[in-house]
Amino acid sequence: MTNRDEGLSPAEFAATAARAVAACAGLSVAEQGVRLAGDGLVGVVASENVGGLDLPLSFAVPVVAAAGAGLSDFPLMENILLARLLQQRLPRIATTIVAGSISATVAWNGAVTASRQGDRVVLKGCVARAPRAADVGLLLVRVGESAAAIVPLASVARDESSGIDLTQPEYTVQLDAVSVPAENLFAEGTWQDLQSDAFVLRAAAILGSAETCLALAREHVSTRRQFGHALSYNQSIRHTLARHKLGLEGIRQSIARALFQESGLRERRAAFLAASAYGVTISEGAVQMHGGMGFTWDIPVHRHVRRIRALQAQGDASGVLAALGHDYIADVKPAREHAAA
Amino acid sequence: MTAVNISVQDGAVTQSLSGEAYRQAARSWLATNLPASFRSDSTAFAAPSLTQSTGWEAALHRAGFAGITWPTAYGGHGRTLREHLIANQEIGALPMPESVNSIGKELAGPIILAIGTEAQKLRFLPSILDMTNIWCQGFSEPEAGSDLAGLRTRAVRDGDVWRVNGQKIWTSGAYRAQRCLLLARTGPVEDRHRGLALFAVPLDAAGVRVRTIKSIDGKEGFCEVFFDNVEVSQDDALGAPDEGWSAAIRVLAIERATNRMYRSWRFENELRHLIAACKADPVLTGLLEERHYAAMLAETIVDIDVLKAHVETAVDALVAGEQIGARGSLAKLHWSEAHQRFAALAMELLSKASLPLRSEVRVAQRRFEGIYLQSRAETIYAGTTEIQLGIIADRILELARGK
Repeated sequence: MTNRDEGLSPAEFAATAARAVAACAGLSVAEQGVRLAGDGLVGVVASENVGGLDLPLSFAVPVVAAAGAGLSDFPLMENILLARLLQQRLPRIATTIVAGSISATVAWNGAVTASRQGDRVVLKGCVARAPRAADVGLLLVRVGESAAAIVPLASVARDESSGIDLTQPEYTVQLDAVSVPAENLFAEGTWQDLQSDAFVLRAAAILGSAETCLALAREHVSTRRQFGHALSYNQSIRHTLARHKLGLEGIRQSIARALFQESGLRERRAAFLAASAYGVTISEGAVQMHGGMGFTWDIPVHRHVRRIRALQAQGDASGVLAALGHDYIADVKPAREHAAA
Repeated sequence: MTAVNISVQDGAVTQSLSGEAYRQAARSWLATNLPASFRSDSTAFAAPSLTQSTGWEAALHRAGFAGITWPTAYGGHGRTLREHLIANQEIGALPMPESVNSIGKELAGPIILAIGTEAQKLRFLPSILDMTNIWCQGFSEPEAGSDLAGLRTRAVRDGDVWRVNGQKIWTSGAYRAQRCLLLARTGPVEDRHRGLALFAVPLDAAGVRVRTIKSIDGKEGFCEVFFDNVEVSQDDALGAPDEGWSAAIRVLAIERATNRMYRSWRFENELRHLIAACKADPVLTGLLEERHYAAMLAETIVDIDVLKAHVETAVDALVAGEQIGARGSLAKLHWSEAHQRFAALAMELLSKASLPLRSEVRVAQRRFEGIYLQSRAETIYAGTTEIQLGIIADRILELARGK
């Protein structure tokens, strides 16, 4: 896939992203933002007027996958999406996100209420599953059913970190009548649009993690010897890893399908759900393959399990699954009796 | 249930059309011409006779829906693989009967195109497409199922002809076929994969005996085929004795990824039929509203989308000139297992219908009982699940086997 006349391909971004993520090791969240922004990764889909590259979403896929593979603790998916969301109404903030001078996150769970007071909006409610909310400056929250608002985090109380992913901890945030400028409130439908793109990028993050897990498991069973031969000699091990490979390719190809021009919400949900189901199987299977080593901090497989489980919860996989089913069922008309020919 | 007369309009989907226009023309032709009695989701369904099936498939060919990518010189339509995909998407979207000549169209034909002589291509291929020659596949034997290298049916050169002796089994549709794509051994059994050759054996030859086997669905589609000193012309030998099998394997690797390309879209047709039937029944309608069943059906949707992605990716790769290699195993493995899961779900849902059964539910029960039983074979034929897993482990993951 090439982009316009620039000859760029999403695959070319994978290597750049992997190098940038690796270079972030040991840096603070703020420092990582600057570093990743310097490589053009935060603004990959944001418009050029805020300093972005104005590329299609497909170019963000290898970037987020690389972040997943490298267990990045920077909320890269959230910043990529927010830079683009804010570019029209809040271009100055979008510019700072693209430049890495301020970073943002999204509270994926819960919603707040909004009431207009002059040229400001007052937000009330509790939201959760906001990755790295203690370390970034801005938070996007859902408002009501499908609107959204951007909130500066400086004056907002955050609970203790929570969530299974220790590398990228999540936070619950209580908004007690927090007042923000009215322009920070985004229209109905904003949240659905954000989620639609997040389905694809979350699947990409899981793809990166799952690919790493399978590579580690493959390496381990090929070198670890028991009963006089490598673990990979055993058919049960070979077949289990073959199933993991089947799942991994299912994730990869579902993402590609979700990015087809004619694809819609169904394909995007399917990509996320495939990633969620197969990602868990592959990462948990990698822990099993590693035995005791899979539980140590020397081997990152359990950290990938944590990451994938967190992404699954942030995307509300079980809720999306039910919604996909209900929407599909609603679209089918009842069968009718036909006269014999 | 008895077969009824059908009438089909003739005329090809305009050869000059391509892309979306081709899709619309294909959709329109199929919707207009598929007989109501052929629709397995219809209360008007009546299982087609062999004559009706061959007539329908011949009409499909004349309309441009068989031999889509085959050269026009051999009766094909000379279209692209992408157009083949489009046609299959439209074919799959309708509940039409399975081909009675899929072995001819999807196995024998591509192999003959790859390794046959020009005379063989001209002799065999048009008759596959016009349905005057139905083919069956003579690969498995009582002592050689997944391990075809162990097969024992022998072909011995005797002057200008070959003499074939042995037995084949699980030869679907042999009772109605005119030709058998026969895999036979020309060397000793110890040669394993070497010394295997392919033949196009006429089933009316002296010494051929076919015996049907009643199978899981109560039908007698399976057959045993016995070859007792059967004389086969050299003109019916496909490829050189030691070359035929290896060339066929290369073809089969592509075919595994591309054959029955419509099945992802047929799978979705089945899903929509299940839901439509449930909506015709008050109890089942209530079950569809439950989160549990909505989620189970959504898992099927995800399975279908993953399968479509596998197929479309394979087409993209082939169009780009890439080797498919072992990747065909991914789609086959995913489809066969996902289809079994769905068939079991359909049986479970429909078993909860209110009484007395509505005709729409009865139609669905009949269709899905058949699909359920047939689906048990899907993880066995065309390479068992275990064989596919082995291929993925060996050739894609390249896992070490040695001690």
